[in-house]
Amino acid sequence: MRSKLPVLRTRRRYLAFLVEAEGEICSKDLIEEIQSSQLSLFGDAGVARNRLKLISFQNGRGLLRCHHHHIQETRAVLAAVGSIKGIRAAIRTKGLSGTIKSATEKYIPQLSKLSFENDGRRIELEEVSGCIIRTRGLEVDLCPDDRSWTKGSDTMYMGLTSFDLCGGHEDADGTTDGL
Amino acid sequence: MSFCEILKAFPEGSDSASRLALAAKRMGYQGIMICNEAPDRIFRPKAIGHVKGINVIFGAEVCASNPRALRSRVSSLRPRFPFLAFSGYSEEMARAACEDPNMDLMLLRPELRRPLGIVSAKAAKQNQVAIGFDISPLVRWRGSARSRWLETVSRSLELSRKFDLAMAITIGARSHLDLRSPRDLAALAEVAGFEPNEADAALELPGKLVKLNQRNWLGPGVELL
Repeated sequence: MRSKLPVLRTRRRYLAFLVEAEGEICSKDLIEEIQSSQLSLFGDAGVARNRLKLISFQNGRGLLRCHHHHIQETRAVLAAVGSIKGIRAAIRTKGLSGTIKSATEKYIPQLSKLSFENDGRRIELEEVSGCIIRTRGLEVDLCPDDRSWTKGSDTMYMGLTSFDLCGGHEDADGTTDGL
Repeated sequence: MSFCEILKAFPEGSDSASRLALAAKRMGYQGIMICNEAPDRIFRPKAIGHVKGINVIFGAEVCASNPRALRSRVSSLRPRFPFLAFSGYSEEMARAACEDPNMDLMLLRPELRRPLGIVSAKAAKQNQVAIGFDISPLVRWRGSARSRWLETVSRSLELSRKFDLAMAITIGARSHLDLRSPRDLAALAEVAGFEPNEADAALELPGKLVKLNQRNWLGPGVELL
């Protein structure tokens, strides 16, 4: 029941986060995974103490509302997510704020659309070979020809940088792919 | 605060060393330590020189099937690497690792169902071997397996506090998707039973050990300046 006294209202905090994943993630899958992680870590009583709500999620960045006494718990819940609907993912906490407005202004840049495009280029080196899936700044995700190369870490793609591919140069500043 | 994380790079993980360094730098680490079982076979280690603003150290994880092989492997690796770690997969091997003063870190493997033994803890204290807690089961496992592991960790933690052992935390990352920021790691460690100040000290420990090892020690307590 809604309290009429503002002083009795629970205080909230807003966690801004970034999702790094090997594929596209929708907000419904994300909140399901976060709630399942919270339930398995802290149980029903823990969920009741700290009701999480996904305020927004767009272009891999989102805002999550939590109770102001359970911030560390919420961080642990987000860090304990290793995959979302079978897609390998990691949730990175960017920052914490007291209002939606300040959290958005501080931690969610408006022009931050991450573009994941199929590159179509191939890499043939002595040690590794495969197709480039996407590039982001200096980072290169590679679909390896031999699946056993990613066996130990359960990932689909190998993570390389343009420096590994001999295209990196001293003045590379992260704005070009350097390949 | 200078946080440092222990990682595995390609071919034992799926990311190259420079990619791990870039990801770790973005997350707020001041250093990373790459500890592969075969440290000579790391993919493009020279590419790391291009990643500025993060200290990358190449250590080694000792791999041995019996205590004797462990000792000989440690003595051969010690002069070449500033940091040596060992994953204790059985109680006997964990004890052997704790009894070797040349060892820096004994990692308690999550698959090891038993907690740290009293004899190992005493040996670790005597030989100044740090105890490493791999907290990756908090991410990788769910349900009863994870609750069993949490119980084992809390027992090992009690013993480590009792003997005042140096503790380290790692998430055993093999790719950038396994990596977590230092604050997230501390939050996970608190779930596993660490106190906040213990978690911070544990995250700083590998860097401190490497700094100590890189100094020129002539013997115990004697340094060439």
